[in-house]
Amino acid sequence: MTGAPGLLRFLLRRERFGLPWWLLGATLLVLVQSTQSQNLYGTPDELAKLRQTIGSNTAVIAMSGPTRLLDSIGGEVVFEIFAFVAVVVALMSMFLVGRHTRAEEETGRAELIRSARVGRHAPLAAALALAGLADVAAGTLIAVVAAGTGLPVGGSLLFGAAITAVGVLFAALTAVAVQIFENSRAVYGAVALLLGAAFVLRAAGDVGSGALSWASPIGWGQRTFPYTGDRWWPLLFPLVASALLVAVAAALLRRRDFGAGLVPARPGPAAAGRSLRNAYALAWRLQRGSLLGWAVGLVLLGVAYGSIGETIEQYVADNPEVAEFLPGGAADIVDAYLALTVGTAALIVAAYGVSSALRIRTEETSGRAEPVLATATSRLTWLAGNLSVTLAGSALVLLAFGLGEGAAYGLTIADAGQVPRLAGVALAHLPAVWLLVAVVVLALGWAPRPSAALGWVAVGYCSVVTLFADSFDLPGWVQRASPFAHTPQVPLADLALTPLIVILVLAAGALVTGYAGLRRRDIGY
Amino acid sequence: MATSSQAISITALRKSFGGATALDGLDLSVATGEVHGFLGPNGSGKTTTIRVLLGLLRPDSGQARMLGGDPWRDAVALHRRLAYVPGDVTLWPSLTGGEVIDLLGRMRGGLDRRRRDELLERFDLDPRKKARTYSKGNRQKVALIAGLASDAELLLLDEPTSGLDPLMESVFQQCIREVKQQGRTVLLSSHILAEIEALCDRVSIIRLGRTVESGTLTELRHLTRTSIAVETAQPLTGLDALPGVHDVVVEDHHARFDVDSAQLDTVVRRLAPLGVRSLTSTPPTLEELFLRHYGDDHVADAQVPA
Repeated sequence: MTGAPGLLRFLLRRERFGLPWWLLGATLLVLVQSTQSQNLYGTPDELAKLRQTIGSNTAVIAMSGPTRLLDSIGGEVVFEIFAFVAVVVALMSMFLVGRHTRAEEETGRAELIRSARVGRHAPLAAALALAGLADVAAGTLIAVVAAGTGLPVGGSLLFGAAITAVGVLFAALTAVAVQIFENSRAVYGAVALLLGAAFVLRAAGDVGSGALSWASPIGWGQRTFPYTGDRWWPLLFPLVASALLVAVAAALLRRRDFGAGLVPARPGPAAAGRSLRNAYALAWRLQRGSLLGWAVGLVLLGVAYGSIGETIEQYVADNPEVAEFLPGGAADIVDAYLALTVGTAALIVAAYGVSSALRIRTEETSGRAEPVLATATSRLTWLAGNLSVTLAGSALVLLAFGLGEGAAYGLTIADAGQVPRLAGVALAHLPAVWLLVAVVVLALGWAPRPSAALGWVAVGYCSVVTLFADSFDLPGWVQRASPFAHTPQVPLADLALTPLIVILVLAAGALVTGYAGLRRRDIGY
Repeated sequence: MATSSQAISITALRKSFGGATALDGLDLSVATGEVHGFLGPNGSGKTTTIRVLLGLLRPDSGQARMLGGDPWRDAVALHRRLAYVPGDVTLWPSLTGGEVIDLLGRMRGGLDRRRRDELLERFDLDPRKKARTYSKGNRQKVALIAGLASDAELLLLDEPTSGLDPLMESVFQQCIREVKQQGRTVLLSSHILAEIEALCDRVSIIRLGRTVESGTLTELRHLTRTSIAVETAQPLTGLDALPGVHDVVVEDHHARFDVDSAQLDTVVRRLAPLGVRSLTSTPPTLEELFLRHYGDDHVADAQVPA
């Protein structure tokens, strides 16, 4: 343990820019949910109506939590947001522990640290302490925000504590996983799988008898029933489990060599497959994993949104205030809801497109582009190889959302026609997504250094315009530069082709101009 | 693109990044079929020169010709005929070494399967490991094998052995000799002087983006001094007075001194009558050449990262 306090200070310093974003994200989720829920279902009457609507909708229960939480307004907040906040905090804990243990061993930096007066257990202890502090901070902030928005203090404390407990448990799970696997990607894969299993188990449990929820850390957290039962004892499960897991991790750490795991890394193929022969195949190979992840994520999001589609009609009839948030008002309520959800998903797909296009810059700055461009691969082929995955990938991810939403909505109203319909609706946003990708390419050609900042500012700007233009009464000229503001709000509005064609032409122009810049500039600077 | 006797010819090449000058009128000529040593301290512009030759950087002014073409304009056509090994090899972490070798070979236009496998054996590299698990030396081997397994007529090697152990260094030297026997051209940037001495026909020494010496090792040695240690029957006197003799240390019958290579003959004639009992003559090492050019002021010079 020698050196652990010093290491912890060092880790806090290294995380001083990244960690606040995680905490902010988790806190904002609670802040937004608490304000919205209290606005929408502030009276016992409205809450009772909500219980009626949602209590019988298994899809909503599967995405949220046990219906007993709906007994009070605070519980309603927990019902809607707990699982998501728990996932965010669990991921935060996983990355904090993984990044400062296994990933450090992989890069060899930990070797330098361990060669100093630092004990064998110190890096793990410091990483766990860091994650623990972050989890406590997240819990505290959530309790403060919940109480600050007017929810009872006792329940708010329990809400925060339950989130902390889930976070600590996943930190401890990660601590075991880093002893088992030799590379950090395998660690994150394994822990994320467990996190997914925790979500699925509690979903199945909450829809059914509730027994399965007791096998899930997220279920333990929810079954403290903040604001509706306020019982603290279920938190004993995550705390005891965490202590056991940390003990196991420490024991495994004592038995393994530095840099080794219990499961040795599997060897890969000794020769490249027949198809791995050009820039296109390379880009596909490098990005297929993350593309699959995004596609699965958006199918699930589509299913989540689509499953509420039918309920929304009655829900809005019960709560006229909600209609204000939907374009088109109370008429055509389901179409308005679908248009809103597809518009939101398109922004997420734009984030995928920008992150995928920015890989081109990462390839360049990491030095991996150099050996490729030193072969008979032209700059055009190199760019086209990467962009083909980005452009086709954006289409695929959008389509995944549309199919997911169409399938789920179609199932609830027994209409298979919703699947192709919503797939088409989703694809109407493709030109706008492509334009954002083209903006990144333009930056890659003419202003490569700030390209990442420019790309993300563009996504941020479009998100603000889409999500807040109406509620904040932003002036029209502010919205005009967002391609999403010009995309027809199908299925609520008709599919107008002219704006889509204009957006496509602009995107093509930006791509060509970006390539012209890339062709004439130095590579690697 | 006709093959000329010059594989690479660069004249008065200039390149600056922002305000920092990386190449300041560099000249370099590499004859077809030779192994040419490209020598200079870190930051002297070796990597920048090679990146210009690869068409990755556009020179500010000056001429660069390679294999009869323009490195910037004809990049793709030229790249089919060359192989490049970077000094700092970064690989795609999720690909195995074998996959990277095959991919880079195919992108260049095909690689010799048999030679690839033979090189894997000689460099003792496990091609089934993921690139993220390779050490620096093993990443370097991946790039070397990818380059050496090709039929390229020109090899551009940028400090290719900085991470290799002595055993692998000797395998590398053997490979380069074979490449030379096949009549292929090699530009070998390095600051490992023993490697340059062992392999290169001609050497160009650069400093601060300029070429300061260029020629065969013999020619370069001629410009410098030979160290002599001698023991004679009669006492040694009057050595200091001889032209071209420096740093004399005399103890009775023993003497150690340096002599300008051009004056070696005169000095040996002066020694012979004294009855030479033993004589060791050490030709100047490349290291001495190198230090003569950099020894005094290389520390103070502001350098541009290459």
